[in-house]
Amino acid sequence: MRITSARISQLFFLALFLFLFVITDYRGKDEITVAVNSFFRANPLVLASYVFAVKGFTLLLLPALLMTAFTLVLGRFFCGWICPLGTLIDLVTGWIPKTAPIRFLRGSFKYYLLLTLLVMAVFSVNVSGIFDPIAILIRALTFFFYPLLGHSTRAGWSGLYGVAGEGRDHVAFIYDFLRDYILPFRETFYPLAFLSLAIFLFVFVLERFEKRNWCRNLCPLGTLLGLFGRFSLFRRIPGRICKDCGECRQHCATAFDEEVLQAEGCIRCMQCRAKCRLERVGFPFKGKKGFLPATRSQEQPVMSKRILLGSVVAGFFLSKTFPFRNPERDHRLLRPPGVANEGDFLRKCVRCGECMKVCLRSALYPDLTRAGITGMFMPVVIPRLGYCEYNCTLCGQVCPTGAIPRLPVEEKKKQVIGTAAIDKNICLPYAKKLNCIVCEEHCPIPDKAIRFETVNDIDYQGKIVTLKRPYIVDDLCNGCGICENKCPLEGRSAVEVFAGKKI
Amino acid sequence: MRRRDFLKITLSSLVASQLPARVFAQTQGPTVAVAEGMDYAAITRKVIGAMGGMKTFVKPGNTVVVKPNMGWDRKPEYAANTHPVVVKTIVEEVLAAGARRVKVFDNTCNDPRRCYENSGIQAILKGMKNVDVRIVENDRFKKTAINGRFLKEWSLYDDALAADVFINVPIAKHHGLTGLTMGLKNMMGIMGDNRGYIHRSIEDALCDISGAVKSHLVIVDATRILTAHGPQGGNLKDVKVLNKVIASREIVAIDAYTTTLFGMKPEDVSTTVTAYKRGMGEMNLNKIKIVKV
Repeated sequence: MRITSARISQLFFLALFLFLFVITDYRGKDEITVAVNSFFRANPLVLASYVFAVKGFTLLLLPALLMTAFTLVLGRFFCGWICPLGTLIDLVTGWIPKTAPIRFLRGSFKYYLLLTLLVMAVFSVNVSGIFDPIAILIRALTFFFYPLLGHSTRAGWSGLYGVAGEGRDHVAFIYDFLRDYILPFRETFYPLAFLSLAIFLFVFVLERFEKRNWCRNLCPLGTLLGLFGRFSLFRRIPGRICKDCGECRQHCATAFDEEVLQAEGCIRCMQCRAKCRLERVGFPFKGKKGFLPATRSQEQPVMSKRILLGSVVAGFFLSKTFPFRNPERDHRLLRPPGVANEGDFLRKCVRCGECMKVCLRSALYPDLTRAGITGMFMPVVIPRLGYCEYNCTLCGQVCPTGAIPRLPVEEKKKQVIGTAAIDKNICLPYAKKLNCIVCEEHCPIPDKAIRFETVNDIDYQGKIVTLKRPYIVDDLCNGCGICENKCPLEGRSAVEVFAGKKI
Repeated sequence: MRRRDFLKITLSSLVASQLPARVFAQTQGPTVAVAEGMDYAAITRKVIGAMGGMKTFVKPGNTVVVKPNMGWDRKPEYAANTHPVVVKTIVEEVLAAGARRVKVFDNTCNDPRRCYENSGIQAILKGMKNVDVRIVENDRFKKTAINGRFLKEWSLYDDALAADVFINVPIAKHHGLTGLTMGLKNMMGIMGDNRGYIHRSIEDALCDISGAVKSHLVIVDATRILTAHGPQGGNLKDVKVLNKVIASREIVAIDAYTTTLFGMKPEDVSTTVTAYKRGMGEMNLNKIKIVKV
């Protein structure tokens, strides 16, 4: 295989992506300057669904606007030069033997998918993140591969002690480096790890059928970029398979399903140019002389009325029928700090998993059904597993769309995630007449949202005891959940955070 | 265990628990040294000097644990964590006395990375040779037989168990449950597992821990104290600047004296009272020799 600029660029961006992924973490500074959210802020699919859902724009997504402009000029180059998922596919596809393409996917399915997602966004149900290729990759990394790397490295390090004993110290510097710079700080298991992995693997299973199957037949980001790319000022020539050669069919991953080049499929990987024995292939500027106009068939609209109408109907029904929410689960629907409005969150959240990756105390987890099926992969706080650190603002900093607002720390402290409530049936001073107030000790609010009253009582052995009984000051509680997290009862906590009334 | 061993241990522990506080109090009470001044390094050195200098505690080649309170994600001025200058001075003295290695750690309540960072302790010790400031690792807690009144066994940090010398460096703070947190309470930082469990009988539990891991030297940071909303505070109005550092070999005596800085009596702190009743030390101020240096 010849090394083309596109290949170098792919590997560079994959490395950059993984680097940004790893540094999206607390590294001793309150501020994160660059994070892996750059890949979402420059993502036109995120931009399109945000604009349709919110009916507005945010400067956070300015890079995506630029990316759109570049795509209009250069074509669908993102897929062939940048997309880390595409790069991974290219890296492994050689080892996956191919059967025949799936005919069903070869049709207009990808347009139905993209348009349905965008129509759903118009109806304020923005689920396009579930299918976003970068989000699929980050979720698989965050929820499955990264914790796995942490667990296995730590277990291996411990196991090495059993084998090598003190001799392990000779290679301690390697482990120290990994622990300090690469491994996740905390051992965390995520719900939906399996589902995230399954979706990720699905993309690779598709490679059984044809090259870049996901990219050419499903990926909504790729499809969107392809639509923009049709207007590209650079066109590949010749515009069809040469009668005397035809090898482009083998080299091209995405654009030569037929005799004629599919303009919206060409990902500008330029393998055809690199491999053309006759040196015929070029990507000249449109206005330049010698440009061979493509045949008529290439110009025909891909957006037939049927696709448009079908997607509008599908998007309408899906957005109106899926948002079922179990009211009993609503009271534990604890969103990250600063998310004041559930509807607004659903319009903006990309489900990229970055907030969960960066969360200092591993308080944020991907949700499956608390907010209905349309809330899948959106973050919820599970205080029993991890609480929201009072002085930390990281989730708001890495959120690519501002779904979790970026707030100064003093503002963030005032954001209400929920309100704690004590269950007197199990809380020790009430139920067992034993002192405890671990919750009060940990409450970070300077004036204490958990206080206690001191009462004299007779315990169950008949002894006089002075008890400190905790109570919650609702007006001060921000629902950070440290009380629920630290409650020393085994299993269920005697103090739990419940969501306030959110619109 | 043989019967003879059993008898020996039982008898000697009985004797040990009953005698020292009463007997030694008559002859020679515990000494508590107090120094006051704006230069926290200087006053820390003064109280160490008053205890006979670090060399009386640390022998060349020793591994020494310096255990500050850095359990909270608060900046030094909020008086939730031991002052970094006090910690650094002690570490310097320990090194000067010939220690091979100094370990500084705390099992924190907030996120350990933020606590180590924002307490200022990690930064001030950065680059010092033979000094480990490591975040505690779960697999280094060891189930340890304690055989106390409340705790029979608990996971304690290996570094604390293995140290030749243990220097306990708490900050004096308000605490909802025990009244105040000082030397005895600071020992919670070597405990693993579900520490909140011990709150149901915290006085005995803390005495049990101090019985299992002895603090050879206690240095209380009272450069500024937290008078309310402890143990983590968060409001500068609750902080009182005293510019004092206190030292003693006797953990109960130093807790008893430190209580007076809050305008309270030693009897007001349940942990101190329990420790005194269990014969772990002296809490009567008139039997404690207070040396102002």
